[in-house]
Amino acid sequence: MQQELLFKVLVIGDLGVGKTSIIKRYVHQIYSQHYRATIGVDFALKVLRWDSDTVIRLQLWDIAGQERYGNMTRVYYREAVGALVVFDVTRASTFDAVLKWKDDLDSKVTLNHGRPVPAVLLANKSDHLASQQPKLDSFCRENGFVGWFETSAKENTNIEEAARCLVEHILNNEESPMIEREPGSLVLSGFTNATKGHLNCSSCVKQ
Amino acid sequence: MAAEELPSEFDVVILGTGLVESVVAAACSRVGQRVLHLDRRSYYAANWASFTFNGLLTWIQQHHEESQSEEVQDRSSLLEEGEELIYLCNSDSASISNLQVFCYTRETHEEEEEEAPTPDPDPADTTEVETSADGDNGVKETSETVSADSKEKETKDEASDEKEEEQSQAPHTDGEEPETAQPQPPTAPSQSEPVRKKISYTHLVKEGRRFNIDLVSKLMFSRGSLVDLLIKSNVSRYAEFKNITRILTYRNGNTEQVPCSRADVFASRQLSVVEKRKLMRFLTSCVEETEEQQVYNGRPYLEFLRDQHLGDNLQHFLLHSIAMVTEDTPTEVGLTSTRHFLRSLGRYGNTPFLFPVYGLGEIPQCFCRMCAVFGGIYCLRHSVQCLLVDKNTNRCKGVIDSRGQRISCSHFVVEDGFVSAERKKVATPPRSISRAVLITDASILPSDSDQQVSMVTVPPIAAGSPSVTMVELCSATMTCAPGTYLVHLTCQSVGSAHEDLSPVVTRMFHTSESHDQDERPSVLWCLYFNMADGSAAQVEGHDLPSNVHMCSGPDGGLGHEHAITQAQSIFDKILPQEDFCPPAPNPEDIIYTEEETKKEGVEEEEEKETTKEGEEEEEEKTNEEEKETKKEKEEEEEETKPLKEEHKAIQPEELWRAEVLDLLTQLVLVQKEAAQHQAQVVQLLGMLGTQNSQQIQDLQNMGRHQSLLVENHQALLLQTSRIANHLHDITKKPAAASQ
Ligand SMILES: Nc1nc2c(ncn2[C@@H]2O[C@H](COP(=O)(O)OP(=O)(O)OP(=O)(O)O)[C@@H](O)[C@H]2O)c(=O)[nH]1
Ligand SMILES: [Mg+2]
Repeated sequence: MQQELLFKVLVIGDLGVGKTSIIKRYVHQIYSQHYRATIGVDFALKVLRWDSDTVIRLQLWDIAGQERYGNMTRVYYREAVGALVVFDVTRASTFDAVLKWKDDLDSKVTLNHGRPVPAVLLANKSDHLASQQPKLDSFCRENGFVGWFETSAKENTNIEEAARCLVEHILNNEESPMIEREPGSLVLSGFTNATKGHLNCSSCVKQ
Repeated sequence: MAAEELPSEFDVVILGTGLVESVVAAACSRVGQRVLHLDRRSYYAANWASFTFNGLLTWIQQHHEESQSEEVQDRSSLLEEGEELIYLCNSDSASISNLQVFCYTRETHEEEEEEAPTPDPDPADTTEVETSADGDNGVKETSETVSADSKEKETKDEASDEKEEEQSQAPHTDGEEPETAQPQPPTAPSQSEPVRKKISYTHLVKEGRRFNIDLVSKLMFSRGSLVDLLIKSNVSRYAEFKNITRILTYRNGNTEQVPCSRADVFASRQLSVVEKRKLMRFLTSCVEETEEQQVYNGRPYLEFLRDQHLGDNLQHFLLHSIAMVTEDTPTEVGLTSTRHFLRSLGRYGNTPFLFPVYGLGEIPQCFCRMCAVFGGIYCLRHSVQCLLVDKNTNRCKGVIDSRGQRISCSHFVVEDGFVSAERKKVATPPRSISRAVLITDASILPSDSDQQVSMVTVPPIAAGSPSVTMVELCSATMTCAPGTYLVHLTCQSVGSAHEDLSPVVTRMFHTSESHDQDERPSVLWCLYFNMADGSAAQVEGHDLPSNVHMCSGPDGGLGHEHAITQAQSIFDKILPQEDFCPPAPNPEDIIYTEEETKKEGVEEEEEKETTKEGEEEEEEKTNEEEKETKKEKEEEEEETKPLKEEHKAIQPEELWRAEVLDLLTQLVLVQKEAAQHQAQVVQLLGMLGTQNSQQIQDLQNMGRHQSLLVENHQALLLQTSRIANHLHDITKKPAAASQ
């Protein structure tokens, strides 16, 4: 039987690093130089046909540009299962902030039994880069990122790959906790909209 | 995350993230106003907040320390021609007083450590616990870890003979300086462990982030203004709800369940048949106003109830648990609250109340998120220092924030705690609410399910004592750790919170002061405090510019009517022409699938249209499968309440469905009862040895017919609900099919 999984993924990072551009590129296949805030939408939905019997609905939650001063409500973090942490390769300060975002994330959302949610690091605007950049492998290992990608929303590089990497890790987490979870503690119920309940992916796996 | 300079121009600046301010923020932002929403605190929701256990300890700590006021910086240099300044006060600590903490459990229990249901098998040593407490403060933004846990607690030996008086002299009384950290080592375990295994303090700290402890204890009436607003605005999508599963009352030293829905009344074992009938008749009759009732206007509701000859049982239920009023409440007020209760019955469950999963502190945040999604800007730890007022018009032109930045605005909305006392018009003497928060190890009334959510009414336990409302939450509400219960007590203050509420606590729970009988749940940890009553602040008549709107903090009422009414009236003053919180669009309405993402460089608008068409086909294909899987999921789901879905219940056909099912259910219940009575009559006649066997036979026949009828009605009930479900499904479809 086909299973449908729904994942809430957060897209975080400093002002102007390209979060909205990445989401628009990934979900809507568009890119615009002109910054236009999306008003009135919580998340963009990307439907992935993962394999012959898995459909994945990815909810990509942008920081409402408005919350960019670093004060997300719990509603934003609640029930997230993964994150894309973005910085701008042309501005060092946005890289410095990456760890702040990661800490904030880890302090506010954890999987069952307190493990952090998987996070992928995106070095965005890589189209600006002339030369080879330093590798971030050890940075990721030290700071708990599951992987990193040089991306460009402008030229559509590596965004799908980054998302795929994140989804793979989310799926890994989905499988293992099934053994650990005690039956009684599966209460976590998700977001109240049409897709309510799917966020708790265990309910899908059971089918 | 960098500290960016804020834009310098807004339509509405709002200070404080309590419920009223947050609703106003969402409402303004939703209709296109540029909103700046600030809070001096590091967490959302002000006195409406909820905290993890560790977060609450930090909050307690902060309130002990918050006496030293910050130095006010002179901002007159920023004044322009014709302007003057109104300084705001920067400390809101005045709204909280008489904080007292008691811990009735040990630091650790060796035995318990092994058998504790924690998944983590490592025996926790103290340092580990302290670190794990770090950063777990759900609402706290900083990781400033105060060793509040050790500071605030006292380790009491359960077997010790501590007296109440000693307790109240604990070093936590209001106004006193907090002691320096002195973690008390657990008292030497010389005494033998009590039989019931207690959960240790260490365990509470370790499981701290499973707690969401509300400062306010309220419930949502299913047809109250908050639920209506959540549904209307679509803010409901950010939260989920649980039913309060039962209403209890404390009476003659016992905790009893109050039957309140019709099904409950019929099923009740406490009530006699006569009482059931009387109660149903009464509840039906008081839905409408009658002349008979009007005669009692101004006279106590109790008198009215007495004259209905309902008997003690019913009178108690009606007065304390359904109307939730006191003995001297006037009849018309008693009837109004009875009607309010009855109106909310049956919308979602067996009681009229709902409670948000993760606690009430979620609600203001849901409105904040809505505001942010529509462009509102949020900054915590950021305050407004003073208002810029035009001398000629006496209107507020803008504000100066805590960093000395000048920000212009057309309206300023402020939590009353930031307005200095001289400018406020409040009721005298100031009213306050007494609160207690307990973490216990068992339910006040154990039942088949250990996941009951109970509302308990406790009438005054002595003359002059307040009547207390108690809410007991289980771990399914995501407000407490598995194996514990979170109990909130609330009343209008007569004395301090401890004076008002500890008599109730010691009577209903096992604390170290009372160890006579041990069926009662044990209190592991508790907190008492008083909070200013928000309903004491008047809406009008403050010494403030006309475009400055003051919002009050939480009021003592059980529902949210006061806050929502106030938010709407403030919004109406700011934007008299605009709709209050129209529904926000659902982000799921636009779906892009992978197949359509191949094209590139198309204009955005076009792209949207093509994807939409493609998506519909897709939808069609998967519709059937989807439906099936969806159904399964729905069945598996816990009874958390998506308000949106239930919202459909008020559409006509849905209403019809509910009504029919309700009526049929009643019919079946009544008939069952009748059948039982007949059986009793037959039995009695048999015992009397009636000679006329024909009579008995007739009666038996009647009984048989009766049970057939019951069966038929049950079948009808089943069929009707099937039809209703079917109808429900096809009414969902046409939207997709007709396009
Ligand atoms: N050259 C280049 N520019 C990019 C790329 N991604 C985004 N930009 C530009 O960077 C600017 C900011 O992008 P946004 O997507 O709005 O960034 P954001 O992170 O959503 O910003 P906020 O919502 O304000 O925090 C825009 O002008 C984009 O056109 C990229 O990959 N390459
Ligand atoms: Mg953006």
